[in-house]
Amino acid sequence: MTEYRAEVVIWMLSGTLSLVMMLVWMAQAAAAPGGMVRGYTPADFATYFLSTWFVSQLLVVWVSHELDYEIRQGVLSPKLLRPLDPFWQHLLGHVSERFVRLIPMLLLAALFTWLSGARFTTAWWAYPAVLALVVLGFGVRFLWEYTLGLLAFWTDSSTSFQEIVWLVYAALGGMFAPLAFYPEWVQRVAVWTPFPYMLGLPSQLLAGKATLAQAGQGAAVLLGWLVVFWVVRQAVWRAGLRRYGAVGA
Amino acid sequence: MRRYLRLVRIFTGATVAAQLEYRANFVGAVLASLGQVGVALLGIGVLFGQPGTTSVGGWSFREALLVTGFYMLTEGFIAVFVQPNMSRIAEAVRTGAMDFTLLKPIDAQFGVSTRHLNVLRVPDMVIGVGLIVSAASALTVTPGSALAAALLYASALVIVYCIWLGLSTTAFWFVKTQNVTELFSGVFGAARFPATAFPVPVRFLLTFVVPVAFVTTVPAQALTGQLGVTLALTSPLVAAALLLVTRLFWRYAVASYTSASS
Repeated sequence: MTEYRAEVVIWMLSGTLSLVMMLVWMAQAAAAPGGMVRGYTPADFATYFLSTWFVSQLLVVWVSHELDYEIRQGVLSPKLLRPLDPFWQHLLGHVSERFVRLIPMLLLAALFTWLSGARFTTAWWAYPAVLALVVLGFGVRFLWEYTLGLLAFWTDSSTSFQEIVWLVYAALGGMFAPLAFYPEWVQRVAVWTPFPYMLGLPSQLLAGKATLAQAGQGAAVLLGWLVVFWVVRQAVWRAGLRRYGAVGA
Repeated sequence: MRRYLRLVRIFTGATVAAQLEYRANFVGAVLASLGQVGVALLGIGVLFGQPGTTSVGGWSFREALLVTGFYMLTEGFIAVFVQPNMSRIAEAVRTGAMDFTLLKPIDAQFGVSTRHLNVLRVPDMVIGVGLIVSAASALTVTPGSALAAALLYASALVIVYCIWLGLSTTAFWFVKTQNVTELFSGVFGAARFPATAFPVPVRFLLTFVVPVAFVTTVPAQALTGQLGVTLALTSPLVAAALLLVTRLFWRYAVASYTSASS
């Protein structure tokens, strides 16, 4: 993994949607009368969107592409002979990549913070809370992406479904704006999904705009979804294996 | 010229036939296109939906919608025509398959640029055109400004193609270029908003360093008749310059190509 350091940095920079939104909202707030939009100053926007950028980088999951490939090409077959569910191998691969990512990410975050004038919260408890939410959020995302990848057992390619789910995640997670900026009805739908607690809530915590109670509530919702997706993944995996014809066998 | 047109027709027929085999995939792709436009509208809707906001960077909602339409259209253009071809250049250089392209009695740049299509993403282009038309219907558009917008958008497409070809051509030396084009896609994401919605230094970057402002903002400005003459002339000039530079760069790259086996 460390062989591809340049690649890791480029992939991180390419997650630019947060940064684009940050620049747009900062310009909006600077131009607005009073210098703020809904109580957010340009510095607040910088803090929020830098946080969504950082958190979304920690939540990156590409397992559905790998599964899609493995199932279609039959690479999965030898893995099935091993005594361990391939799930764990994929999971560990993703987790170890986070550690490769961390140092360049912190450097980039420091650079962006300096350039944009973002100010992160000084409340110490926010940081362990964010870490817990990110771990839970990563688990939830990994499970749903894994399940989507398994759909390759039935369809020729699952990449477009994965794209749709990413769009919903980005939109309801709060990558375009803090969730409170969204229309009423979107917010009402969003609170039932795991998305706002994976991306928006940790960012709000880092920006000092959410409480510990909200963090706990979000963690509880994520835990619930973790269980749901775990059960769904198990069911899809079993059904898929029965259907798997092992290409080339 | 006739021969090249005929080749385009054959290439198109072959790739379309190959892709229509996967029908479930097509349904998925249409859903993804609809999702994409939904999210694009949500993004811009949230921006304008804030109390007291009537314009973003001096653009009204309808005008900004025009930019989003051009953005969707260009995304579709890239996904249908540019990306499927350009992503194969690196692969061909790595495996040595580029030999076959270079040996053919047609221009090699034409060969690598037109062989593949991704028809699954055509809905993106349709949605983009739909957005432009519906946004423009509420604005005052004269035949002259529509023509100017069409011409400027044509040079915008040339700019996009040239940037992409230039980045992909580096594959002759670096072998892996997927990341670089990914980076361009990331920067191109800024084109979904008018260039004036960004702080001044970033605006400068988007116009002169990575000229994405010419791709969506300038045609939209032309359509509403707010475009200055200087910018209107700059866009085709940038396109022509890029076309020349990438052509020379491609020739230079091919000349230094040494196949994978030798």
